[in-house]
Amino acid sequence: MIQLCSNDDPPVSFTVPRKAVELSKTIKTMLEDLEGFDMEQTPIPLPNVDAPTLELIVKWVEQHQDDPPPVEKPRVEDDDSDDSDADDDQEPEVVIPEWDKKFLPTDDEQKNQLFKLLNAANYLEIKPLLDIGCKYVADKISGQTVEWVRDYLNMENDYTPEEEAKLKEEIAWAEGL
Amino acid sequence: MAALEAENARLQAEIDRLGRTLTDVSERIVCGRLTGELPDNFLEQFSQLPDRPLEHVLRFLPALQVAQMRHVSRRFNHIIRKCSKSMPKKESKGSVVFKSCNAGKLTVAWIDDRAIQVAEKKLTGDEVALSELLRFFCISGCIYFGEGLSAADKVLDQLSKAWLTIRPEVVVFAGDFSQTSRDSLRAFLVKVEPSIRRLNFQYTRNIDDALLSDDVIGAAGRLDGLMIMPMCLGSKLHNFNIGDRTLLAMADADHISSYGSVAGCSGVTPSGIRAFVEKWIKKERPKPGRQFSCCRKIQQLYELSFYNCANVTPAAVEEACGDLLKKGTMMAVTRASSVSEPGERNGQQGSFTVLCPSSNRYLHIRFHIAPNPAHIVFEPRPVNFAKDKFVFNDYVNNHEDLDPEMEDDDIDDYDGYDAIDYDNDEDN
Repeated sequence: MIQLCSNDDPPVSFTVPRKAVELSKTIKTMLEDLEGFDMEQTPIPLPNVDAPTLELIVKWVEQHQDDPPPVEKPRVEDDDSDDSDADDDQEPEVVIPEWDKKFLPTDDEQKNQLFKLLNAANYLEIKPLLDIGCKYVADKISGQTVEWVRDYLNMENDYTPEEEAKLKEEIAWAEGL
Repeated sequence: MAALEAENARLQAEIDRLGRTLTDVSERIVCGRLTGELPDNFLEQFSQLPDRPLEHVLRFLPALQVAQMRHVSRRFNHIIRKCSKSMPKKESKGSVVFKSCNAGKLTVAWIDDRAIQVAEKKLTGDEVALSELLRFFCISGCIYFGEGLSAADKVLDQLSKAWLTIRPEVVVFAGDFSQTSRDSLRAFLVKVEPSIRRLNFQYTRNIDDALLSDDVIGAAGRLDGLMIMPMCLGSKLHNFNIGDRTLLAMADADHISSYGSVAGCSGVTPSGIRAFVEKWIKKERPKPGRQFSCCRKIQQLYELSFYNCANVTPAAVEEACGDLLKKGTMMAVTRASSVSEPGERNGQQGSFTVLCPSSNRYLHIRFHIAPNPAHIVFEPRPVNFAKDKFVFNDYVNNHEDLDPEMEDDDIDDYDGYDAIDYDNDEDN
């Protein structure tokens, strides 16, 4: 069993089976690097994760600890200067399983919890959780207007009116496609 | 020397210090001394998520919405532009036509595979970057550079940008080349090399002899069809540095209908043609695949046409290849073309037909310009729609190129498969 600590003061700690906690690539790598230390006795602090989020993470990894490991694909760095354009592979279809649908904090008032969860999944490198979380948000956004998305994501429109007009013109012609 | 030693000692001390700092940091992380120092509200807003989950969300959206999402904020715009290579793309089958009718005014039209114009955009000067428009689309099908300076460097360079996805099967240059440089053309051909099957320079104007060479054409990789037929004004004949290398590379084509129509390529020699014929005879017949499903009979026809190529005359070709033509498996027919046939120059006329009965393939070698050269790709034009009412216009008569059903008898009569019905390739 491994202990994980939240960033709260005082930290809240959770005890998780090692198999489950290794769904996080970040923690898995760390445990491998520390082979030989008695990690059962050493709580691992997670500076980016608060207690409610950590509780969700723990719940998720325990549920999914027996899942077959996802197929690893090297992450392609996007860069304008990169001239290899052979990576046409589309993101594989992500389906949110039933259990996860119930699990995700999907009420509107839990929005921030969802974003915290995504951030933690990103930080801990739990790819399947990040996938379903992002897929959920994408489904939510899909088909919505720019204003709606801004509102949903609490984003500020930081364009000047001129910039916005120019951008609008750039994109407008493609809308019929 | 002393100075060097002092410097060395200083660097060593620096290394030790950094080493200690590193150990210190690692220890702090491992032993749990690094606790939350983030402000309370740090994660309250989605906008403060790192880029990666944001990118991830965007990748699940439909391509067009991704384009719209650039409006949300500068950061979104930045992320989307940064990652446009891996963002979802709308695939545009059918054709993209570039035209520049007035000086500096470039028009880009998208016509889908049912001949419906989906979008048209005028680009003025350099104001709107073309590549900006194309970020979210994967161009496949046909890229047609129509009238005017549509293939000028500034257009080609933008299309060659690394993060754009262009996978055309057919590229046609039918405009003015006076603002096109060899480097830009070559870079563009390298860019489309993975997908391009047919490359036509048809009635291109102001094409400099130095623009095309074996090397430039070679950049497009293996082609099933190549046409180099510049507009000849007055008595000026072209002399491109294109020769046997390009010709031999074409022998690998295994399309049901392949062609090499070249004009003014003085590098082509009768012995090169012989090498081509030898290679072609040895080749396996093309494997029946998806592309044959629409054909009446499976028969490959390869057409080679040479116009005004200094070293190629019927007599010289017959002399070089004569023994090949007489071998048992083949039949050679030499025909004199009728005197009235237009385009006859330099006394070049007639044609050879080589037949490989065992594999049901024909090779046709011509030495004149046919009145209606096959394999010319007409400029894709949209069918007009008036609101939701279909308007019958002259589409059927003038735009055979857009309708695979119509072209059998009009253009090529041998297999119902010609230079234009690239759409079928993808659909079947």
